Amino acid sequence: MIFTPGAGLRKNRVDWALFFAAMLLLAIGTIAVFSSVAVLPQQARIIRVQLIAIPIALAVLAAAWSLNYQIYQDQWKFVYGFILLILAGVLLFGVVDKGARSWYRLPFFSIQPSEFARVGLILVLANFLDKRIGKIRELPTVLGAFALCVPVFLLLIKQPDFSAILITFPVALIMLFAAGASVFHLSIIVGYGVISGLFPVLWSIISLNPELLDNPLVGYFFHLSDSWGSASLFVAAVTFGLWLLWRLSVQLYANVTGVYFAGAALVLILGFFSGVLVKNQMKDYQQKRLEVFLSPETDPRGAGYNLLQARIAIGSGGIFGRGIFSGTQSRLGFVPERHTDFILAVVGEEMGFWGMALVTGLYALLLRRIMQGARLARDRFGYLVNCGIFGMFLVYFCMNFGMLLGLTPVAGVPLPLVSYGGSNLVATLMAIGIAESVYARRYALV
Amino acid sequence: MIDRQISQGRLDLLWVLAYAAAILFLLRLVNLQLIGGAHYLEIAEKNRTQIIAQAAPRGRIFSSDETAIATSKPSFSLIYFPGHAKTNPEIDRMAKALARPLGADYEELRRNIYKAASREKPVRLAENLPPKIMLALSELKAVYPGVDIIVEARRYYPFGAYLSHLVGYIGKMDTRDWAARSRDKNYSMDSRLGKAGLEKMYERELKGKDGGIYLEVDSRGKLNRVLESRKWVPGADIFLTIDSKAQAAAEEGLQKSATGKGAVVALDPRTGAIIAFASMPDYDPNMFVLSGSEKEGLPAGKILPEFNVALQGSYPPGSIYKIITSAAILESGRVPPSEKFHCPGYYDAGSRVFKCWQKKGHGQVDFINGLSNSCDVYFYIAGQRAGALNIEKYARAFRLGQTSGIALPEEKQGNVFGPSGRAAKKSYWFIGDTLNLAIGQGETLMTPMQAAAEIAAVANGGIFHRPYYVDRIVRSDGQQALQNKPETMSRVQLKDSTWALIREGLRSVVLEGTGQAAKIQGAEIYGKTGTAQNPQGKDHAWFVAYATVNNEPSKIAVAVLVEHGEHGASAAAPIAKAVIEAALRSDLKAKNIKPEGPLLPGTTRQAGANL
Repeated sequence: MIFTPGAGLRKNRVDWALFFAAMLLLAIGTIAVFSSVAVLPQQARIIRVQLIAIPIALAVLAAAWSLNYQIYQDQWKFVYGFILLILAGVLLFGVVDKGARSWYRLPFFSIQPSEFARVGLILVLANFLDKRIGKIRELPTVLGAFALCVPVFLLLIKQPDFSAILITFPVALIMLFAAGASVFHLSIIVGYGVISGLFPVLWSIISLNPELLDNPLVGYFFHLSDSWGSASLFVAAVTFGLWLLWRLSVQLYANVTGVYFAGAALVLILGFFSGVLVKNQMKDYQQKRLEVFLSPETDPRGAGYNLLQARIAIGSGGIFGRGIFSGTQSRLGFVPERHTDFILAVVGEEMGFWGMALVTGLYALLLRRIMQGARLARDRFGYLVNCGIFGMFLVYFCMNFGMLLGLTPVAGVPLPLVSYGGSNLVATLMAIGIAESVYARRYALV
Repeated sequence: MIDRQISQGRLDLLWVLAYAAAILFLLRLVNLQLIGGAHYLEIAEKNRTQIIAQAAPRGRIFSSDETAIATSKPSFSLIYFPGHAKTNPEIDRMAKALARPLGADYEELRRNIYKAASREKPVRLAENLPPKIMLALSELKAVYPGVDIIVEARRYYPFGAYLSHLVGYIGKMDTRDWAARSRDKNYSMDSRLGKAGLEKMYERELKGKDGGIYLEVDSRGKLNRVLESRKWVPGADIFLTIDSKAQAAAEEGLQKSATGKGAVVALDPRTGAIIAFASMPDYDPNMFVLSGSEKEGLPAGKILPEFNVALQGSYPPGSIYKIITSAAILESGRVPPSEKFHCPGYYDAGSRVFKCWQKKGHGQVDFINGLSNSCDVYFYIAGQRAGALNIEKYARAFRLGQTSGIALPEEKQGNVFGPSGRAAKKSYWFIGDTLNLAIGQGETLMTPMQAAAEIAAVANGGIFHRPYYVDRIVRSDGQQALQNKPETMSRVQLKDSTWALIREGLRSVVLEGTGQAAKIQGAEIYGKTGTAQNPQGKDHAWFVAYATVNNEPSKIAVAVLVEHGEHGASAAAPIAKAVIEAALRSDLKAKNIKPEGPLLPGTTRQAGANL
């Protein structure tokens, strides 16, 4: 070991499996990144950033490891204030890259604050849920947890960084679930989230395909957000419709309480208003980004093409791969975003099935160890923090693998530790460090 | 473990979810990489390589005396690789410099280069470069990087239209060809392939393996490097059974005939090997290989005479059918060959009077006389005696109504005329029909190929071989891919006395009868003339013959048809004579007889395109 993880810790207080899984993934990722950028014009910059980011990330890992994680609970207000500050700051001082104002430009590299905000939000949520654990089955607790997320989401929408929201929202859900929240309440939240995302998406799709407006219902729906009048009409219609349904269920002696109908109406109406908010909040270029993000066919080259090329790259690797630095698909540029979101295509092409199986296995081990840390944590806060970190890795893992293997829709989500990305690497190792800290400070020695 | 008021069940559920996802991904990877690995690897390779195909030389086609009928010659193409960053003025300058020596339109050339540059794909700027501009282009090649000259092989037929109906021609792929071959790696959209005749039938052997320059390109099609330059493998050579001199004699004879239309088929009666195969009108297959600019001098809009008279032309056989009638008469036993009939120049069938071709009549005629002078009246009477069904039976035995089995497409089978056909149609058979049948008129139809098979069967004692024209195929590595062997299709069983009488009759046709124009010193010719009436115009002239030398088994049987040639004796027989003379030249030479000499192939004609 090149550093001492905190004073007074015995060796069995270190989760070696977690640590080595993370380091091995980082090694595989670094090789793949170097291979994939070999022919890119930004090659020098990317290698330099990676080489700077790795020591910084290791230092942050060591720091987070040695620090007692309980300090985050004590100082949660500072943590929360800090993430809001960096997210707000980036809107003022950040630079625009690929249509999003998400970066602090520093002399040698850039920092993406949303990566750190995600880890910070996990800590803040863990504290909130820990404090409210007695009332966890009440709706206000669940809403309160999301109320904590809302400012963060609003600031992310402003950038806009939709993929950060796409990652963070499920993480919050997983934490609530792990804390024991009511599944009914969670589905209300999921419904709300889906609807507030769905409305702007539907409007975008309609504006992309004007021929849909020929249908009068679609036209009416499209103009819902235009004025308060039509909006209140929508609210009235939803309320009345669900009231009718409730009365109907009463008439039919169906054993459903009115709460469910009220909840459904509330979710629809609130979802509608936040959808309108999201839509009005977006500038033209943001709208465009959302369209590309959600309907990738609008991308001139076509996300279908990109995905196909990535799949060809993975498939062509076969069992043993085509050799490191020898993949033609990625090196000749057929695979897009090959050093970030599509890094697995490089791994699959050059290292083959064994490489991919190794990455999958290491991720499974990583998740297993973080979960074990949660089980053994000395307090509920530690448990919830580890659950959040577990959720974060799980969501990344599922979305990145799923996208590449054609099992989930295309979303620009990297694979932590493997993909290129300095801020992401530092934030990820920070999360690993916190998980190690939770493990190290457990009571039982299992 | 401390109490956290939280059930561990939920944690387990999340854990199961994570592992289910991992297993699902692994299964998908097994499917993608282990099962689909080879498939995707192929796609990946195709992704990154672009091939400039270099057409391999097609196999050569030789006559049996090793005269090359189809060969290949090198052809140079100018290509442009858009790998090098080019500004528009540079391209304009290059196009201007290239347009002058190529004699091409500057605008079009410039557009081609722009297109190639924007798609970043290599393009052929010109094909079949004439040698005189090569030097100028080589200099430009050094000035403008990206421009290169590649060598390819191009089909060339040295004697032009010679044997064109058998050899066929090659051409560019059409959509149907492409549908059939798009999965074949040896073909690309712009490769040429056999479209007719031998070129089509033996496409697989003749094609060879194309060479190519394999280029590595990146995702934007930008050229990275040359991966490899693969040498072509020439196609297999085909050696025909065709005798070049006999073929030349046949073509020349047909061309010089009254109408210049017709067909000659000469077979070896011992094997069925085709010695000459001519069909007029013909075409120059070189026409299809020319590139755009070379075609300019040629007459445009000329319809290709693809109709193969020898195989696809069905004609009434006329008197050559009397060979079949003779077989029926003699085999029936109802007419002793010595029995004489009186020919006054006509035959009264009761309801109608049938004429003999000789108006003044032949007088008293026996079998030999009847065949020798082609006396219609003799065959009217004797044929009636033998019976129409009997004649029809022998027509079938002589393979009328059946294809010969030659490996060429769209062969016609002629038509068998007879009572059974009428019975099948529930119609009547009249005496007049029998009379017409006996002299080969009526509804009987025969192709020149069938006529040749008929006379060959007389020569060899009744055997019908499958006619073949490919003797052997030799691959470019010297290995023999195919050696054709004679194949018997069927046999006519006739009494020896019948064969002897028919042969005697055919011999006297040439010695003192209608076929004297076919007489050759030093060889015995057995022949039969035919003059087939046809409602469309002048009579068709037929002549079928075979020859023996020194009483050895006959080596050649020939059928000649001159469309609207009027008289078999004058129009068709001399062509048969010339073909036989050419085919037997070595035997005749051994006997110190100087042939009157057909010309060498090609000497009477423009040999191919002047390139």
